[in-house]
Amino acid sequence: MSTAGARLSRVLGIEGLPIVTALVAVSAYFALTVPAFVDGEAMRYYLNEEVPVFIITAGMALVIIAGGIDLSVGAVLGLSAGTSLLASMHGADTVVAVLVGVGTGAAFGLLNGLVIVKLKLNDFIVTLGTLNVAAGLLVVLTDHVQITGTQDAGYLAIANTSVLTVTSALLVAGIIVAGLQFVLVKSAFGRMVRAVGGGTAPALVAGIDAGRVKVWAYVISGTLAGVGGVLLASRLNSVQPGMAGGYELSAIAAAVLGGVSLAGGRGAIWQAAAGCLLLATLKQGFRLMGVDPLVFSIIIGVCILVGVIVDRSVFRLAVSLGSSARSQAALPPVQEGRIS
Amino acid sequence: MGTTTTPLEHDPALAPAAPLLEMSGISKRYLGVQALDRASLRVNRGEIHALLGGNGAGKSTLLNVLSGTVKPDEGTIELDGEPVSVEHPREAHRLGIVTIHQELSTLPDLTVLENILLGNESALGARGGVLVNRRQVAARVAPLAAEFGITRAELWRPVAEFGALKKRAIEIVKALAAGPKILILDEPTSGLEEHEKTLLFDHMRGLQHRGVALIWVTHHLDELFGLADVATVMRDGRTMATVRVESVSQRELVSHMFGGEAAELLAAPAAHRRSGDDGRQAGPRLRVTNVSRPGVLRDVSFDLYPGEVLGIAGLAGAGRTELVRVLMGLDKASSGHIAIDGKVRKLNHPRKAYRAGLAMVPEDRKQMAVLTDFSVAETISISRLRAVCVAGLLSGRRERTMARSFVQQLGIKTPSSREKVRNLSGGNQQKAIIARCLNTKPSILIFDEPTQGIDVHAKAEVHRLVRELVDGGTSVILIASEFSELISLSDRVIILNRGSLVGEVDDIGRRVTEDGIEAVKDRIIDRASRASK
Repeated sequence: MSTAGARLSRVLGIEGLPIVTALVAVSAYFALTVPAFVDGEAMRYYLNEEVPVFIITAGMALVIIAGGIDLSVGAVLGLSAGTSLLASMHGADTVVAVLVGVGTGAAFGLLNGLVIVKLKLNDFIVTLGTLNVAAGLLVVLTDHVQITGTQDAGYLAIANTSVLTVTSALLVAGIIVAGLQFVLVKSAFGRMVRAVGGGTAPALVAGIDAGRVKVWAYVISGTLAGVGGVLLASRLNSVQPGMAGGYELSAIAAAVLGGVSLAGGRGAIWQAAAGCLLLATLKQGFRLMGVDPLVFSIIIGVCILVGVIVDRSVFRLAVSLGSSARSQAALPPVQEGRIS
Repeated sequence: MGTTTTPLEHDPALAPAAPLLEMSGISKRYLGVQALDRASLRVNRGEIHALLGGNGAGKSTLLNVLSGTVKPDEGTIELDGEPVSVEHPREAHRLGIVTIHQELSTLPDLTVLENILLGNESALGARGGVLVNRRQVAARVAPLAAEFGITRAELWRPVAEFGALKKRAIEIVKALAAGPKILILDEPTSGLEEHEKTLLFDHMRGLQHRGVALIWVTHHLDELFGLADVATVMRDGRTMATVRVESVSQRELVSHMFGGEAAELLAAPAAHRRSGDDGRQAGPRLRVTNVSRPGVLRDVSFDLYPGEVLGIAGLAGAGRTELVRVLMGLDKASSGHIAIDGKVRKLNHPRKAYRAGLAMVPEDRKQMAVLTDFSVAETISISRLRAVCVAGLLSGRRERTMARSFVQQLGIKTPSSREKVRNLSGGNQQKAIIARCLNTKPSILIFDEPTQGIDVHAKAEVHRLVRELVDGGTSVILIASEFSELISLSDRVIILNRGSLVGEVDDIGRRVTEDGIEAVKDRIIDRASRASK
């Protein structure tokens, strides 16, 4: 039964095909029309700038796949940058300063997870609350002003060391994305994340401790925000109130662009990261073309919408080609699974 | 809207001969698979016409063509002898073709009247202004509603207050308010209790007397006799036979549906029964003592022995599902304890229940069992991931090998173990869920309505499987609303009534041979439906 339709369905069903195609097409377009785009130094610069978003996108994708959403990551990233840099400025050892930052993130992740799971509260509202708590704490911590100037060269080297033509920060981001993707696909925990995201009730009936899985997803997301914060503080050697605000929205947009379903249960970390890369590439391309930043935020917004629509259409087409043969309940939301 | 523009001509010579509906040569191909292959359906006025076939036979596709949700590649539809094209559900509605779906589709927060009104605004004369005069509409709907047991006062109550039967009645009234010529009923008895089914059948006869043609899709062949006039049987997208129900046997219908071989399988006598005592010396495998849960369970105690099928009988709301949910750790008991193999266990989470050797095939496959986006292999392995791990990492190869052995053992029809479960038919989804449970090697397996919404063939296989399991020493707890199914599978039945255990009927096999199945059934129904002890 290897008809054209079945084959097409298989091709369209390949995970991540839309996002990779989009990424390649957009990069190719800029490479051909904007000579400065292919400049290695510029590319390294803009990628380096996106590292924090990259990292929280990975955590965000995990949480969304687990059926939740973490709005606090941007603010937590900012706060972690603050606690970590302050620790370093007050003479803490490099390792201690890093642990303070990462620990701040992990603590917020644990708080999010426990409150959501134990008190059975809505993910959106809880993380919106902790977003404000973290943002407020950063204001208190910095006393409304920019803080800057650690003397610890080791701390500054964390993000700024060059390793095989890329910066250490970018390398860390890459390792995190690859590692989390591996966890999602190859570990029992990752499988359970997908199960819980597909539906808490059926996951429970299958004997999965859905609550614990979800708490862990939030802890990972928070911890990664902490890591992102440390890298940001190390790169800039300065932290100010409101830093990294809105990063969570970029991360959500990137994840959704990468095909992660906001309904939970479907998606991949690397695809979310590719979504993030696509947004960064668009931003960089337009910047080099001299488009007014205010205008290109509109263009990027439109790209997100178009991207999501195309991705969903391709997904539905793949599903309908693949399953309409057996059932005509092809599109997921419509009377799924009712077969004559 | 390329339909007939000429008014229907009434040719008196043609009218009696021509059927109300004639679908012929309907084909539909979905990339590679022939869902319908020159299927036909001919329905007369005032006829109850059963449409039968296994899962995937093409019944739904054919009816979707009729109701305008699927466009056929070929074929013609004639209504009252006039060719029509049904391009859109709205068109079908206008032509008087109305469907009542298997899943209850009333909106719980709206009142009965609002539900009936929904989509029927013009038919009920409610359109015209922005405001709908509800009182006027209520007065118009009331006589019709009364025929189906809905009082005038009830029209103003939210649908959420009513049970499954009344919801069904509301849907029927809603459908009738549209003035249909053809009413399609897809598994109308699902979710109804025995006595409610009888009432529904009365309603169906009432519809027939109003001259409405009913197309009735059902998996329950025993319901047909004495009710349906004609049955059309489909298989592999083709119309196999159209027969008068009074002149065929159930067995003939089954052989039309699945071919001769399957009929033999289904006709096989209920497997041998064990004496029932052999497991008892060892002591109970599960002992439930005074388990209560406020509002749903009161002081329930029972034992479950190795190698027996314990049926739990009761009407809706008796606490059957609630009881097994407590056993599985999905709900908490407020008092009482549960001992497994003599040891008291605290089962406050499903994970612990699985660890203690329990597993459950839940009711409501779609909501409670099927994990969206999981493949067959992933579905089967999820409750015991350790078994498919190599060095702490999931091994896709090991997982698929394991899944394939279950696919073979249970006869799960799937293109491959990588296929998404949601793409399988209901019966095969159920088998995948059963495989998932078996994979945990449970000593106690709970089946909650295991044959709901699956065809007779799959049903027979599930029954066979339950017997095999028990022969292998597994203990089974079975919930089935269909009393004949419960009796034919159980060794012993306990009866719940409003959360309390009100009786036990043991040694079912002997009683059935001595007194007949009807006597045993009556005895159980009597206890289960008695108002108070």
